[in-house]
Amino acid sequence: MLSLMIFIPIVTSILLFVLPQSLKVTRSLSLIASFAVMFVSFVLYSQFEAIGTMQFVEHYSWIDRYGISYHIGIDGVSLPLAMMVAILMPAVGIGLYHRNKTGFWLNLLLAQGGIMGALLALDMMLFYLFWETMLLPIFFMIGLYGYGRKHFISMKFTIYTIFGSLIMLIGILFIGNIYHEQFGVYSFSLLELQNIKLSHSEGLFAFFAFMIAFAIKVPMFPFHTWLSDTYRSAPTGAVVVMSALMAKLGVYAIWRFLFTLFYETSYELAPYFIAVGLFGLIFFGIVAMHQNHLKRLFAYSSASHLSLIVVGIFIFDIYGLLGSSYFIAAHALSSGALFIMVGMLYERTHTHSMDALGGIAERAPLFALLFAFLSLSIVGIPGTPGFVSEILIVLGAFNYNIYIGLITTTTILVAILFMFSMLSKTIYGPAHNPKMKFHDLKPLELASLIPLVLLIIVMGIFPNLFLDKIKPTAELHIEITSKNITKTIEKGDVSNVN
Amino acid sequence: MLINIPNSLIILLTVLFAALTLMLLAPTKHYTKNRGFIISFAALSFALLFGIREPTHSFAEYLYGDIFSNMLIDDTFSRLFIQLFLVGTILTLLVGRSYIQRANFFQAESFSLIFFTLFGMILMSMANEFLTAFIALEISSLSIYILIGIHRSDIKASEAFFKYLILGSFVGAFYLLGMMLIYAQAHTTNFIELSRYILASDFQDQYLIIAGGLLLMITIMFKIAALPFGVWSLDVYDGAPLPITSFMAGTFKIAIFALTLRIFLVDYSFLVNIYDPLLVGAAVITMVGGSFLTITQSSIKRMLAGSSIVHSGYILIGLASMGILGSTAAPSVLFYLIAYFVSAIGAFGVLSYLSLGEEKNITYDSLKGLSKQHPVLALTLSIFMLSLAGFPSTIGFLGKFYVFNSAIEANYTWLALLGALSAFISIYYYFKVISMIYFYDEPKEETARFNIVNYKTLSDKITLISIVLASMGVIWGGIGSSLLSFLPGPDAITLATEHAIRSLSLLL
Repeated sequence: MLSLMIFIPIVTSILLFVLPQSLKVTRSLSLIASFAVMFVSFVLYSQFEAIGTMQFVEHYSWIDRYGISYHIGIDGVSLPLAMMVAILMPAVGIGLYHRNKTGFWLNLLLAQGGIMGALLALDMMLFYLFWETMLLPIFFMIGLYGYGRKHFISMKFTIYTIFGSLIMLIGILFIGNIYHEQFGVYSFSLLELQNIKLSHSEGLFAFFAFMIAFAIKVPMFPFHTWLSDTYRSAPTGAVVVMSALMAKLGVYAIWRFLFTLFYETSYELAPYFIAVGLFGLIFFGIVAMHQNHLKRLFAYSSASHLSLIVVGIFIFDIYGLLGSSYFIAAHALSSGALFIMVGMLYERTHTHSMDALGGIAERAPLFALLFAFLSLSIVGIPGTPGFVSEILIVLGAFNYNIYIGLITTTTILVAILFMFSMLSKTIYGPAHNPKMKFHDLKPLELASLIPLVLLIIVMGIFPNLFLDKIKPTAELHIEITSKNITKTIEKGDVSNVN
Repeated sequence: MLINIPNSLIILLTVLFAALTLMLLAPTKHYTKNRGFIISFAALSFALLFGIREPTHSFAEYLYGDIFSNMLIDDTFSRLFIQLFLVGTILTLLVGRSYIQRANFFQAESFSLIFFTLFGMILMSMANEFLTAFIALEISSLSIYILIGIHRSDIKASEAFFKYLILGSFVGAFYLLGMMLIYAQAHTTNFIELSRYILASDFQDQYLIIAGGLLLMITIMFKIAALPFGVWSLDVYDGAPLPITSFMAGTFKIAIFALTLRIFLVDYSFLVNIYDPLLVGAAVITMVGGSFLTITQSSIKRMLAGSSIVHSGYILIGLASMGILGSTAAPSVLFYLIAYFVSAIGAFGVLSYLSLGEEKNITYDSLKGLSKQHPVLALTLSIFMLSLAGFPSTIGFLGKFYVFNSAIEANYTWLALLGALSAFISIYYYFKVISMIYFYDEPKEETARFNIVNYKTLSDKITLISIVLASMGVIWGGIGSSLLSFLPGPDAITLATEHAIRSLSLLL
């Protein structure tokens, strides 16, 4: 079933590439494919049991000599993100229905499959394969359909990201070899690699080899320098994929791989990453306040919130973890929908500059309403899932340390500052260009946005409906790691645990 | 069936026979390019018929040891290489077919020369003796020299020919000197006897053997285009006609590695500690220097030539990590060679298809808008580029994976990191090709475009089909799994390389 979710989009994309069809056929087929994935994901969700372990596992051998296998599965933490991928992509397809390049649709499908694959992979090499593969469609989308200096930017983005990936590859090989030394056979399966014992320096090396790749993808400070260029030049579809899904995948991967494989090192380094996260949270927020370009503003706003999620993961607390995984889903939903709306805005006005906009609320009330709602849901007003997850993270942070708890609360303040000024400039206030035509949302656009908005509301008001599925995994994880960590503390291996 | 004649001898004789036939046929009026092709393919397919058998176990024996006094060995190792040479030659000819058909400087002798090269290479992979190996090396090198300069009216080709000839002969002298030193000490030129000698005697007594090994290494470094001895390769690869460049970069390089691996694994693996720093240093210089050389090129052909230096650097990582028989390093080197050879032949093949049988300078700019002019070629070239860059889901990635893995296994993690770094640099020049192909519009002027629209002849179709097949092979080699057992995937290749490496130690 999980394979279906990965390969329906990929196979459709490849088939459509090899046998080129007209725009109409391509578009409908890719929509059908993404709807099919969504359907499968609903079935999956209903059958998903609220237990902590991996479910729907599929395991086939691939390269036996090195113990590499096709091994996928899903648990409570990957479930929300997988659902978001499956739900967002059809919405993107409908919302951006008028994209008239066949290549755009193919790349979108390919990206979807790649992200899903990386998300579900339980084998390090399989993960690496998908992690790199999902880069290719983004490279093509920016280079082909982007704005501005798109050729340069797509190259910069690709090179930047691959740098991280290659270092990660060495990290993967490194721990694979350590497994080989300790157990006599090669294996790249996550579940088996958990059993390796790393010395302190080995743990540090492997941790950072992985962390660079993930930090670039998220992006965490100071690896954010690709962010603003890329978001500005990328076409809307690519931005939705990057901000709503790929960036979240980076955070998810930190949890999935670093915390499973190197929990000692992660625990040891946690204070530093909490500090980096908190700094990023405020720093990106301040940068976002000074942007005049809509997409760049949202880029930095995403980065700010992702830093909060990173903090939530690193505080090693059940609430922090729960909040983070819920925030991943919530933010994916809100920012995805918001970027779709930015795309619609651009279709109407052909500008991303906030100074050139304004007064939209008078002419297009429905548009303004949804836009404002989505922006506020990112900020995390009560009644949205952002609120629930921010509260959970803040709670966890207070459990960890009262000062860190206090700093995390600034997230709402920072977000409110830049979101409100953005809203007042673009949507409300006097129109910069009163003659500019701006028609309200069309039925097709509504069809893509309304379900997302409804889902946001439901997720905000009844969080327990969803949190119950995440909770067992989070509890299990915290239980295992805390047991392991107490063990190591007793042995006295880790010195500076506070 | 012919009883008791080893297959490798049949292959060797077939190749020799074909070379002589083509040579004798060439001056007669019966010769046409088409017939040359047909004879070549018939001979190669016939040879391949005997060579294709998948090795299921390791074996090794002297080829008529009493007649040739143990000079030649027939083992799984040489069988694997013979397969590669045959496939490589067939691929080169198929992929270069359109070019060769059009280029009027490919005259009658060219096929014969290719077969003589092949003969030399096969002999090289079977040689169990320094002198035999040298003669085999020279047979193939001399033919390659001529092939490089076959475009006589082209000044660049003549320059390349001359450069390679002089440097190559000069470097050959180092080999002979090294061989002499080894003989002075061990009184044998036989690999296996030499290894027995090294094992039996004290480390202190082996200075001449070590020094001789160093001199051999110079020749080998030169031939595989490893820096600091490999700077010729940029000019020579650039000057040679494209099919010949691809033949050199793909097939001929593998032959040198066949000899290298045999000497290294059979004899010098016991002295590995002495050579390791040198190999590591060479790997570092080759990767870093090669990257710098490559990144500044504007012509695609020169870029591929430069990147071939970088790939030699990756292989040197594998060689440096190769301690003892049985480690994963040796099979990983073999796998890398296979991966590189498919991708390189494909990439050069696309270039040769595009260049209409004449030596025109294909730069990055001239690839602009290729995706609109010829989507199939654009896609295949992109796949080859991805594979050369080591992007996952291609065979090139698995090659890098194995090589880096063996480096880490040998505790050279920093060397693997450096390899990753140069792979990272290579992303720039390979992805630049892809971005040129897909992101830019085709040039306005008619003259700047490739005139491939009129490609309708049979040879063009053959070339195109083989390019597509090669690109599919590249993908299959990267993701093929053991689920479809009737198609040999990466696992089968690894298994074959392991059998081959194991067979080296059987006669010791």
